[in-house]
Amino acid sequence: MANQPLKIMLIDDENIVGKRLKPALEKTGDIVETFEEGKKALARFDETPFDIVVTDIRMENIDGIEILEQVLAKSGRTKVIIITGYATVEIAREALSKGAFDFIAKPFKPADLRGIIQRASKELRSGFLHTT
Amino acid sequence: MNILKKMKKIGHKESEIRDFCIQTIRFKKFLENARALLDLFEDGREKALGEYIFDRHYVVTLIDSVVERLGMMVYDACVLLPESGEALYATYDTHKRTAENLIDFSGFVKKNISSGDVTPETSKTVEPEYQLLSEVLQWFNGKDAPLHSTVMAFMKQIFSKVVQGQGPNEIIKNRPLFENCCGKIPDMGIYLIDLWDDGVALPGGKSSIHDFNSIPLNHLLIDTGARSVPNGADWVAAVGEYQLSLNSLRADFQFRLVTLASGDADADFIFVFADNAAILDTLLPPGFHIENSGYGQFAWNLGISEKTIEDSLMIIGRNLFN
Repeated sequence: MANQPLKIMLIDDENIVGKRLKPALEKTGDIVETFEEGKKALARFDETPFDIVVTDIRMENIDGIEILEQVLAKSGRTKVIIITGYATVEIAREALSKGAFDFIAKPFKPADLRGIIQRASKELRSGFLHTT
Repeated sequence: MNILKKMKKIGHKESEIRDFCIQTIRFKKFLENARALLDLFEDGREKALGEYIFDRHYVVTLIDSVVERLGMMVYDACVLLPESGEALYATYDTHKRTAENLIDFSGFVKKNISSGDVTPETSKTVEPEYQLLSEVLQWFNGKDAPLHSTVMAFMKQIFSKVVQGQGPNEIIKNRPLFENCCGKIPDMGIYLIDLWDDGVALPGGKSSIHDFNSIPLNHLLIDTGARSVPNGADWVAAVGEYQLSLNSLRADFQFRLVTLASGDADADFIFVFADNAAILDTLLPPGFHIENSGYGQFAWNLGISEKTIEDSLMIIGRNLFN
């Protein structure tokens, strides 16, 4: 785990977010899969767990809070990071109270998200060391 | 004292001074809305540089915010200059329509892809969100945009109208009123009006600059020598603790300075208007953005630190009064 690349799932129904973030996050060697639909993302999660899930909060059909709840129910060690718009900071707080690792408000720089992912990665790795 | 008694107490001269104070405060509000618009332009420009991840929602929110602020600015202008209301609101409506068309733009691209007018390859070259933001920036202040069609051009038009209508000629007309209130030969040749106290009661008791607790006024005059103006004042200043509105009373030198020096860099600003007789390049310290119009020159410095605002006002004061 210590030297393995992170498996990151990115869910946002706005195509541009995945399109721009994927290459930016892959620069550090991590594996990134992008999804525009929550349902497809959750189905993929059932096939293979991810270390980190980055999800937009406002999406049609399945929103970010539901993704958060379902992901944590499937895998308690996965860190979920919520992406919010300007008007949804309150909901983001709700997400934190439900176990989200952190949240980031749009617009943001990939480097800002990378910082959060690094913190999540540290926690994941320290958790791995404690259990081995 | 109840409101009726207070109103009865306010005499004719007091109500004129009160009107002057209200107009001064409204003009500051007008500038604050203009400043908020410039901040929105800057935010959009920053996001367009390519480093940020944003979605369509951001661009639509930006457009909505600009329309809302522009509306507030137009409202302020109409309060200051009611007779210009119809023309300003007509232009404002045009901008609202432009904004609506811009928001529809992404839909337009999608529609045309499905109908075959625009090939998917063409649309792939620029992401729709970036394309939309680029269009929005053109509408704000684009060099390629048709003349007078930008928000910036409209802002300049509003500024010119307000400054002309509210301008030095109007203020000069009030000279007898200021003289009555502040004495024939005031300290430093500046009629001083307390924005908050003198609006409800005739100025009295304060005869010297030192009687006024105004941070920006102190900065402005800190490096100026004693000044005697035997023929009466050539300036009028409306002041608050953090606020200063300085106006020339000379017909041959039109000058207006409005500043907020609260110590909060995000809110503080200096705005200057001068006719073409003044050479703002030499009058103002570096760091000001200067715009020329047919009517005169507008200059502003926004988001400035406490130290910069202090230094800037000191330099302007020295150049104006020494």
